[in-house]
Order: sequence, then C-alpha cells, then structure tokens
Amino acid sequence: MALTLMKGSEAIAEAAIRAGCRYFFGYPITPQTEIPEYMSARMPEIGGCFLQAESEVGAINMVYGAAGTGARVLTSSSSPGVSLKQEGISYIAASELPCVIMNVMRGGPGLGSIQAGQGDYFQATKGGGHGDYHLVVFAPASVQEAIDLMSVAFDTADKYRNPVMVVADGMICQMMEPVVLPEMQDYKIDYSVKTWAANGRGMSKPQRAIINSLYINTEDLDMLNERLQATYRVIEANEVRYEAYNLEGAEIVCTAFGTVARITKSAIDDLKEEGINVGLIRPITLWPFPYKQLHDAAVAPGVKAVLDVELNAGQMLEDVKLAVNGEQKVDFFGHYGSHMPTPEEIKEKLLSMREVL
Amino acid sequence: MKEVIVLIGNYGSGKTELALNFAFRAARQGKKVELLDLDMVNTYFRLTDRANLVKSYEIRLVSPNFVRSNVETLSLPAEVASAFALDWDTVIFDVGGDPAGATALGRYHDDFAALPPGSLKVLNVVNTRRPMAGTPEKLVHLMRDMERHSRQPVSGFVNNTNLARMACVEDLREGYEIVREASIASGVPVLYTTARPDLLEAFLSEGHDPAYIGEPMPIETFMHRDWETFTKEGL
Repeated sequence: MALTLMKGSEAIAEAAIRAGCRYFFGYPITPQTEIPEYMSARMPEIGGCFLQAESEVGAINMVYGAAGTGARVLTSSSSPGVSLKQEGISYIAASELPCVIMNVMRGGPGLGSIQAGQGDYFQATKGGGHGDYHLVVFAPASVQEAIDLMSVAFDTADKYRNPVMVVADGMICQMMEPVVLPEMQDYKIDYSVKTWAANGRGMSKPQRAIINSLYINTEDLDMLNERLQATYRVIEANEVRYEAYNLEGAEIVCTAFGTVARITKSAIDDLKEEGINVGLIRPITLWPFPYKQLHDAAVAPGVKAVLDVELNAGQMLEDVKLAVNGEQKVDFFGHYGSHMPTPEEIKEKLLSMREVL
Repeated sequence: MKEVIVLIGNYGSGKTELALNFAFRAARQGKKVELLDLDMVNTYFRLTDRANLVKSYEIRLVSPNFVRSNVETLSLPAEVASAFALDWDTVIFDVGGDPAGATALGRYHDDFAALPPGSLKVLNVVNTRRPMAGTPEKLVHLMRDMERHSRQPVSGFVNNTNLARMACVEDLREGYEIVREASIASGVPVLYTTARPDLLEAFLSEGHDPAYIGEPMPIETFMHRDWETFTKEGL
C-alpha cells in the first residue's frame, strides 16, 4: 500500500476517476478550484471528458444530461455555486438519475468567505431545491475518508438512482495528508442493469428511454413521488453511516461532522488524559441521519448531556434534538464566519457544562 | 554579497517550510533577512499565516496585497522592489506552486538579471511523494515548465521528500533515487537534502553518493496541515 501526500481536492478528483467517473462538468470557485484543475489535466489522460461550463447552472445541466446516459458523472463547487445548481439537482432527483455532487463548503451566507464553513447542512440534507426529494449526503472528516467515500458515493447513486452529495469543507480540500489511493476500477456501464439509460434505442431496447421530470397528470406525479418516498425509506433503513468514538463511560456525548469532528476528537482525547470521559457520535451520512444510534448513545446510563459542535449557528443541532427527542439535555457550541474552533475552546465548553451537570 | 534564494516547485513540495527554515537559519547567524510571500495561487496554508513567528526573528516579511483578507484576487505589492533595492544579507522568495505560481517571478526578470553573478539561487523543491512528482520524467518536465513561466533557470534541486507527519527514511531514499535520475537527465545539480534531523541523520548514515545529496539541511516543521497538530499560531 503506497502512501502518497495529497491535497484533499486532488485526492477527491483522483478517487472519483478511480471509481469510474469519466465525466466532470464544473465551474471554478474557491476553495475547490483544484478539483476542476486536476480533472482538466487528468481526464484527457484516461479518455474522459472535462468541461468547464459557462456557469454552475450550465454545469449541473450537463451532469443531468450525462447522468441520463448511465455514465458516472461528477460536478463540484462550493457553497454559493451549489446554490446555483439547486434547480438542476431537483430535476435530477425527479428524473431518478445517479450522479455525485461535491460541495466544498465555505463561509456564508451570500458570497461569505473563502475559508471553511459548514453552513450548508440545511441545504444539503433538507432539500436545497424545490419539491419533495432527498440527496444521500456524505460528510468525510479526513482526506483518506473523502477518498474512500467517493466510490461509495457513486455506488450509492447507482444503487438507488438518486443524486448523492459529498459535503466537505474548505479545510478537507486544502489540507494535505498521507493517503492510500484505491486501484483504478474498470467501470463499464451495464445497460442490462441501467435499462433506463438513454443510450440510443437499438434493437434490444423495447421502449424508448425518456429522461423526464415533468408530470402534467397529477396521478402520474403522485406515482413518481410515492416511488421516490419509498426509495428514501429504503435508504434510511440501509445507508446510515456514523462513527462512535469513546462512548464507553462517557458523561457527555458530542456530535460533530467533518473536520469539526476531528477537532472535537482532539478535545475528547485531552480530557481523557485528565480522567474525564466524553464520547462522540460523528454522522458520516448527514442524510440519512443516525437518529437511532445517537438517541441510544445520548440516553445511555451515565450520560448527562449532549453537546453539538458545528461551524455554523446550529443546523445539525435540529436533527440532534430530533434524535434525542427531549430525553436528554442538548447544548451547542459553534463558530461561524469560517472561524475554526480550537480543541481548547471545545474543552472549555465541555468543562463548563460539567460544572452544572 | 546579497544572497537571493528563490524557492519554486510543485505545490505541496515544502517550499514554505523551507523558506521559513532558510530564513530562521540566516537570522540566527545574525544576518539581515527579508522573506517574501509571493504565492499568488494558494489562499490556505501560506507563509503569511506565520507572520508573527517571522517577525519574532526580526525578519522583514513582504506579503501580497489583500492577503488573509478573504479576497481571492491577490496582487503583487510594490514592496517586492525592496528585495532588490535595499541592503539585505539574505532575501528569500517563497513562490506559489507549479508553473502557474512560478509565473509571478517573471515580473522581476530584469531585477534578477541585474543581481551580481553568484548572488541568485533558484531552488526547485521536490517531494516525490506528491502525485505529479513521482518519476524523474515528471520532475524534469515540471521543472522546465516552471523555468519557462518564471523566466529563471533552476540552479539546483532540493530533495525534500516526505509524508508530512508520517515522514520516514524511505521517503528520503526514494526521493534521492528519483532526484538523482532527474539530475543526471537534466544536468541540474542536487544542492540540498532536507528533512527532520533524526531522519536526515539516518539517511546520511546509509552512504549514498554525496554528489546527489548536496548540503544536508535539518529542518524544523512550522507549517501544520492537519488537525492533530494545532499550534498557537493556528493551523
């Protein structure tokens, strides 16, 4: 297993390629521009297609088209750019097409900052565009995990015919870590599975493949929505991913995702040395959210409170409260304005909570 | 004579780390040092993040306009002229990664050309653990590209091969083999091998050809790029 030193953005791009992605459509925006930059050099080497679209709206509609042919396709942007893509994402979800959308979150709202942020949790998990739909949302906490989740993201998208979003933050994309890359997958579109793919009619295709999100007839739209909702229930039942850390004997259970979870872990490790046990539930899928797992951890014997830590004003906090269901005290510690919390700050917060528990 | 060190290289090769190490070494020797952050590419993890540390050595730091203000369109400050106009013992340029970053140097072509012979050293910092720098061919190709963009011939390689916090002697050994081949192929000498003191010592004890090691230079790590190593300077 050869280790290589990679920047998150390069690693994400290379991992997508190795997962069979051969189409990338995007538009530059800090802090993820190295993803399209890397793709622009790499795609021609492997016979793939890199195209810098005229805008984020253009890019997501190119994704829509390519996904309709059954190909593995990726787009990538950062918060304001992902807002622009929302109409297209809703169309892709309605058309039941697999694709992967990367959001390297920066500070918001508005143009915000170019430093790391986590303010797009609501947008990613609650449906950023119009209509009743869900994206499967993965949130890696390291460069290695971002690599590992890329193939999971493409597989999940294909499995459920549903768009998948990977949310990282500026730090994950900009930091360099020693990583192991997976082998190049020999991915070929299997049209006997992807019977819906618009790959030309041919003699073997009894029906035309039509990619559509417009349903004039209300009964037809009902049917689409029922099918979508049924898919979401299956995803909720099968695709929850999370990491449990140091829950044994924990007095407080923290919740955090992405890089903030790593900072929280540092605080937990420091406290452990002082003989204080704090646990962590780190959702790896933000949707479906690990409601049950968090609930069980929060009400376990000895646990006196839950602390949610985020780089926003408390967005995942709402899901944490739903999970805890009023059965445990829930506190919040967050920064916004892209101002990363330090382990010391989280430690102080945990110690101050402890005094009143 | 004024010593001017220009650090170019693939991004992630360790230019900023070396810029700090060269600067602090010179400052400790009582030299008057100016350090220039000429990275017009990266907005994260840059030399200016360590401004307080640099200033504590009484080193003059020149940074791009709008640096660390969340503005992406950095521009070169007029203050860069002080590197050539004022009387420094050592001037160090930390340049952005890749040919794109090296382009910033082109603007100062005439100023570099006016330096006395032997004053300028353009160092190509190499970390063969980086994906675009893993073979001698890639290294030479990237170097020639950077030379064209910067309008400066490279004086020598720096073998700074490492895996950040997981760095080990094998990294240096692999870097040595690849850089040696790149050196033979290009005719560009290896001027430095840099690493953490313990790794460097172990590597040197293996008896490799000194011609492809250059000056061994133990370095300290000031730029952290992961969450396990928060410092009071920040990330």
